[in-house]
Amino acid sequence: MTAIANISPITAAIWVVLLPLLAFLIQAILGKRAKSGNIALIAIILSTLLSGVFVFAEIWKGIPRSVTYPWFTIGISTFTVGVLLNNLTVLMQLLVCIIALPVHIYSRAYMKGDPGIHRYWMYLSLFCFAMLGLSISKNLFMMYIFWELVGFASYLLIGFWFTKESAVQANKKAFIVNRIGDLGFLIGIAILFSVYGTLDLVELFGKEGRFLQTLVDQPGLITAAGLCFFLGAMAKSAQFPLHVWLPDAMEGPTAVSSLIHAATMVAAGVFLLSAVFPLFNAQVLLVIALIGVITAASAAFFALTQTDIKKILAFSTISQLGFMMVAIGIGAWDAAMFHLVTHAFFKCLLFLGAGAVIHEMAHLKDSHNLQIDPQNIQQMGGLKAYMPKTFILMAIASLSLAGFPLTSGFLSKDAILISTYEWAIHHGGGYLLIPIVMTIVSILTAFYIGRLIFKVFFGKFRTAVPQVSIHEAGNSMLLPMAFLAICSLFFIFSWNPISYHHAGVFQGFHVAYSFHEIHSLHIIIPIGLSLAACIAWFIGWKWYVKQQYPLQADSTLMRFSYNQGYINTFYQLTVVEGSLRLAKAAYWFDKTIIDGLVNGLGRFTRMLSQVSAWIDTYLVDGLINSLAGAAYYLGHLLRWVQNGRLQNYLGFAFTVLLIGIIYLIFT
Amino acid sequence: MISITHFLVVSAIIFSIGLYAIIAKRNAIMILVGIELIINAAILNFVAFGRYDKLNYGGQVFALFAIVLAAAAVAVGLAIILAVYRKYKTINPDNITDLQD
Repeated sequence: MTAIANISPITAAIWVVLLPLLAFLIQAILGKRAKSGNIALIAIILSTLLSGVFVFAEIWKGIPRSVTYPWFTIGISTFTVGVLLNNLTVLMQLLVCIIALPVHIYSRAYMKGDPGIHRYWMYLSLFCFAMLGLSISKNLFMMYIFWELVGFASYLLIGFWFTKESAVQANKKAFIVNRIGDLGFLIGIAILFSVYGTLDLVELFGKEGRFLQTLVDQPGLITAAGLCFFLGAMAKSAQFPLHVWLPDAMEGPTAVSSLIHAATMVAAGVFLLSAVFPLFNAQVLLVIALIGVITAASAAFFALTQTDIKKILAFSTISQLGFMMVAIGIGAWDAAMFHLVTHAFFKCLLFLGAGAVIHEMAHLKDSHNLQIDPQNIQQMGGLKAYMPKTFILMAIASLSLAGFPLTSGFLSKDAILISTYEWAIHHGGGYLLIPIVMTIVSILTAFYIGRLIFKVFFGKFRTAVPQVSIHEAGNSMLLPMAFLAICSLFFIFSWNPISYHHAGVFQGFHVAYSFHEIHSLHIIIPIGLSLAACIAWFIGWKWYVKQQYPLQADSTLMRFSYNQGYINTFYQLTVVEGSLRLAKAAYWFDKTIIDGLVNGLGRFTRMLSQVSAWIDTYLVDGLINSLAGAAYYLGHLLRWVQNGRLQNYLGFAFTVLLIGIIYLIFT
Repeated sequence: MISITHFLVVSAIIFSIGLYAIIAKRNAIMILVGIELIINAAILNFVAFGRYDKLNYGGQVFALFAIVLAAAAVAVGLAIILAVYRKYKTINPDNITDLQD
């Protein structure tokens, strides 16, 4: 018993990472026999326990620990792998475990009967392995490997139903867009390595995340490195203008969307920026804040008119990730991490709830042979009566997303908004635009999530069927959702439901803000936002439940929002078509110029060799043959002398003798 | 007076006739006769040059030896011709070409 209690946090953390890998390998070997998902489930339960008991409890607010192993040496620089456990990494690891566990349990019911379910569990374990490894990597290079692995697992899971054309397109898109970010990340790593000669996070920043080396004599390079890292985070965390992959990624199973594309992987960008935060200088931080606010605003705007339930949530995720980016941009990365944690819970819950609804709608569609899209909220309505528990759980998550008091979202969103106001007032002038836009985005958030709840759960059912056979999801789906709903309430994070300063997550990080606290804001903003959210819901209620819809459904603005700002069209026309045209030109160039050159060279060589063959046959061989022929004829001629006739021999002998004598006489 | 030159000329003529017989005749017996002619040409030379050795008559003695040897050689030659005839059923040297390549 003492032996178990004495596991070091490092060992435990390594096992937390390795268990899902083991599960992945076992399931990969078992193949189609691993249908139940028990292996993946057991692995994630053990990981969660280990992570909670032996890693998080030991390290959180304690002494950071790390371990390094040399990996390989090139020249004089040795590359290492290692585990870094500090407040940031153990929090991320535990969060991934705690989100992954309910998703695993939920998936058992949600994915039941799918013909490819063995692949599903395999990929899910692979993702958990990569994400957990990413969270505790000590080395940027190692982190990059896991970063790619989560991207790959995400690619596999988005294209899980790979017989669907749209899923294939979506996973391709996600992969390609992420490549852009990965390239940025890699260049950032390379710049850091060239400047500092190490990629070790501890050597770079110290265990607590301070930038130890002050010899920054190349500010340009450091700015470039910061921007490159941000580019990596932009793609992974779906920041404008690289956010286009996330709405399409909703083609994957909903449980996957909740785990990967709402709670954990997309937050990896925020996590990365927090981990390398001391690297950023003022210019980079401003860029981060600007991109964050543009993302938050545009995504919230696009979310207003979407009709696909998952796309609304996807844009909501993008919008909230924008919030986190703004928090990092103003220097409050503790607020960003806090929002990351709270957002993970309520957004995961929203997705799981949406999954339950979609599940029922799909059943309804199958049983009545309807031609409807089970994800379209226009087809739903009044589900409150059929799925009351799901409704309550989703309502809690929505309140949390909208930042309503007593929820976790209230605490984290206020943390970001208040910090942003303080920062903007500190800087003054045009900087104030950022918090103002974010306030509007907050109100829009309340409105669009209210629209979703009203359209799905209120009013009357809008699909024409003789009998609505929708009922509550099973317990194995409801229980994980209930767990997440509890985690979306304030008391998990802070006993004080009003002030975010008492939140445990905040106390783990000690971030020195560059701006002063303004006390009056801490009262005005929460109250103002809550009131605004209530007004937004009231309007939404009137519009969507009472059917007093005042807007033109086909106005330019609505279409602009519904088509996601035509960004996809723009990319299609420029990047995709451009690439295709370039590829065609390259193909033509290859076919005619390169191949032509090679073929011409080939023909020339053939002709040359024909000439050479002729020379060989008629000149070289001819010479030899004629020599040989001459020798042959000469031999043949002399052969006639050897005819066996004694008299001839004698005659020759006498002739030669005679010649000899004549020769002697005349000399 | 008959000088030595006359003997030598006769001897050379006999030698040439003998050589012709050896090279040109189509009968082994005639070739043997040719050989005899050449031997006799030589003997004639012996006798002719014998006049310069009046003390020992070496030329005449050698001529006697040579005549005996020629008789022996003819006996051997005839035996060979008989043996050749038994094997090839011919004594025409043109038809016996076993020495050709």
